[in-house]
Amino acid sequence: MQTTAVLQRPAEAGAMPAAGKYLTFMIGKEEYGLPVLKVREIIKVMDITHVPQVAAHVLGVINLRGKVIPVIDLRRKFGFDAQAPTERTCIIVAEVALQSSTVMMGVVVDAVSEVVSVSAAEIEQPPDFGGQRTTDYLLGLAKVKGGVKILLDLDRVLGSDGQIAIGAV
Amino acid sequence: MTRARKKNGKTPSVVIDDELAAVAADPEMAQMFVADGLEHLGTIEQTILKLEYAPGDLSLINDLFRPFHTIKGNAGVLGIRSIETFSHKLETLLDLARSGRHPIGPAEIEVVLAAVDVLTAMVKDLPARAAGRPVGDQSAQCERILSAVDALIPDQAAPMAAPVTPALPEPEPAAPTAVDEDATIKVSTKKLDALVDMVGELVIAQAILAENPALHRASDDRLSRQLAQIRRITGDIQRDAMSMRMVPIRRTFQKMSRLVRDLAKKFDKPTSVVVVGEETELDRKLVEQLTDPLMHMVRNTIDHGIEPLSVRAAAGKSGSAEIQLRAFHRGGGVVVEIADDGAGLDTHRIFERAVAQGLVADGTQMSPEEIHQLIFRPGFSTADRVTELSGRGVGMDVVRRNIQMLRGRIDIHTERGRGTTFSLHLPLTLAIVDGLVLGVGGDRFVIPTPAVQESLRPHPHQVHTTGGRPSMVQVRDRLIPLLHLGQAFGIRGAREEISDGTVVIAEDNGRPVALVVDELLGKREVVIRSLGEMFRGVRGIAGGAILGDGRIGLILDTGGLLALASATHARATA
Repeated sequence: MQTTAVLQRPAEAGAMPAAGKYLTFMIGKEEYGLPVLKVREIIKVMDITHVPQVAAHVLGVINLRGKVIPVIDLRRKFGFDAQAPTERTCIIVAEVALQSSTVMMGVVVDAVSEVVSVSAAEIEQPPDFGGQRTTDYLLGLAKVKGGVKILLDLDRVLGSDGQIAIGAV
Repeated sequence: MTRARKKNGKTPSVVIDDELAAVAADPEMAQMFVADGLEHLGTIEQTILKLEYAPGDLSLINDLFRPFHTIKGNAGVLGIRSIETFSHKLETLLDLARSGRHPIGPAEIEVVLAAVDVLTAMVKDLPARAAGRPVGDQSAQCERILSAVDALIPDQAAPMAAPVTPALPEPEPAAPTAVDEDATIKVSTKKLDALVDMVGELVIAQAILAENPALHRASDDRLSRQLAQIRRITGDIQRDAMSMRMVPIRRTFQKMSRLVRDLAKKFDKPTSVVVVGEETELDRKLVEQLTDPLMHMVRNTIDHGIEPLSVRAAAGKSGSAEIQLRAFHRGGGVVVEIADDGAGLDTHRIFERAVAQGLVADGTQMSPEEIHQLIFRPGFSTADRVTELSGRGVGMDVVRRNIQMLRGRIDIHTERGRGTTFSLHLPLTLAIVDGLVLGVGGDRFVIPTPAVQESLRPHPHQVHTTGGRPSMVQVRDRLIPLLHLGQAFGIRGAREEISDGTVVIAEDNGRPVALVVDELLGKREVVIRSLGEMFRGVRGIAGGAILGDGRIGLILDTGGLLALASATHARATA
């Protein structure tokens, strides 16, 4: 049933986001959530191979049991200071829809918290930050258990075309 | 949903025809019919091209008759009447020919070839038609060919005289009861690709295991013997899995032969094709991607390489030109060649055109080989078609790019007045590359061995600077542009001084680049993994390879590195 709920998210940006289950995680003191259906697994931080000519928040690629998948750092993407990995640092492997295909991508977060159910009533539209593009990748804000969780649309975190190479210098 | 659309009947073109009921009901059977049919049509096409040179050869006519008969029979079983009737008509013509009652001439050959084209389209369209998707309408073509056949054999024009008698299958020469040691089964390429991918992972997992330090500490003979055993078996599995995906280049050569024939007619340049080594096997994916570049090159060869009849006559050459298509193994790879006995490249003229188009500065010293490579430059245009040589470069930059994407290269051998040979040097497979592992800082890179010319530790006096920065290294009498990988890729901990590191000279289509790295870490075979859509814009990186310790080494792309090197130098001298 959650399945249908998540899939029902209207396509147009800014429309009412869906209720459903979210995997929540920490970046700094902020708590974020990803639709649990997008999450494939959670792994420990491993050796990341740096790839040249990419945006700063793209850490590189890892070998996930023989598959090469890209890894991005949400700390840097959201403008937090860089921080050395702690024992709670994780990589969330999630599905991301690009223009022509769906790929697996790793997302480095400070710590994974829990899976929560969010009802439609608990979700609020992200406030208008004055026309900044940051709200593009927000599904909404969930007020659950007294805290606010920022629900992310990972497909849009990468930008519209999913290209992360910044081109040759 | 598609069913609903069909029912409301508003789009009659998508309604499944009666004759496709069986096809729609049994997609697997239909798929086999399509695969078989295309194979037979390929045989027919190849045979008829041979027949053109030996019109009286009865065994060839028999070879032609049989596949038509099989297609007709199979189509009949599936109830695809359009194909059945059409093949039947051709079969009738061929039946007369093989019993000596109707001679095979150019008109007959023309009609059969046209029929092959139409049948190929009809067979290919079957699955789409069965799925209710609209396809091109072949009926006009069919009618045209059928009436052409009728015109050739007027007394047989009464339709379907033969099949009224119960279709007694012609006894095929190979009796099916014979125990066939070469028994084959059909496996979908998807399954095969998945198998090859998995075997790739197995090889990696085995390599990771073998390099596990815990194993090296445990000095147990039995353990290392068992490991060696696993390594041997893994290697065997890999070789076998790869070989399953290998296909002979025959089909591609058949297509080229047909193309030569059609173009030779169009340009009025009689040309025969000689095929050598058509049984040479290549990775299926490679063969697929080779077709387009080869077609382009064949077109160029006939258009520009082969002289018009009058010119050939004046030069005392035989009126019929010859194109050789050759394939053979060499040094762990495959070479595919297109050789003509045409006019050869006009080195002087190519240079002039390149200068006129601003591709090279006038007075540049270039060897003939370097000049010939100019035809692969984007923008080397051939607007001036007055001389037969000027057109060689049409789209050749695209050809070269395609070949490079297959990790191959193109060599040209040409002799004025005697002809030109284009040699495509290709790897056996796209899945594995033989590479040199390079260390830069803490990172490791793999460069495909075929791209590497040599490596050296340069003396400071070999290194030349522009604008205070090292930009060239002199190797013997050549000045080669430098690219410091550590700096270009922003790698921390890379050695700054060139004389502390190692220089690897790599080349891309004759253009060398000197890569500055920290050290060489050895040679190894690696399985190539794409970095995926997201990293498409990265220059100088062709993919990733999983190394022995489980980490990923990036595979370098020499062409991209050259572009990076020239960009770096442009900035340094600006």
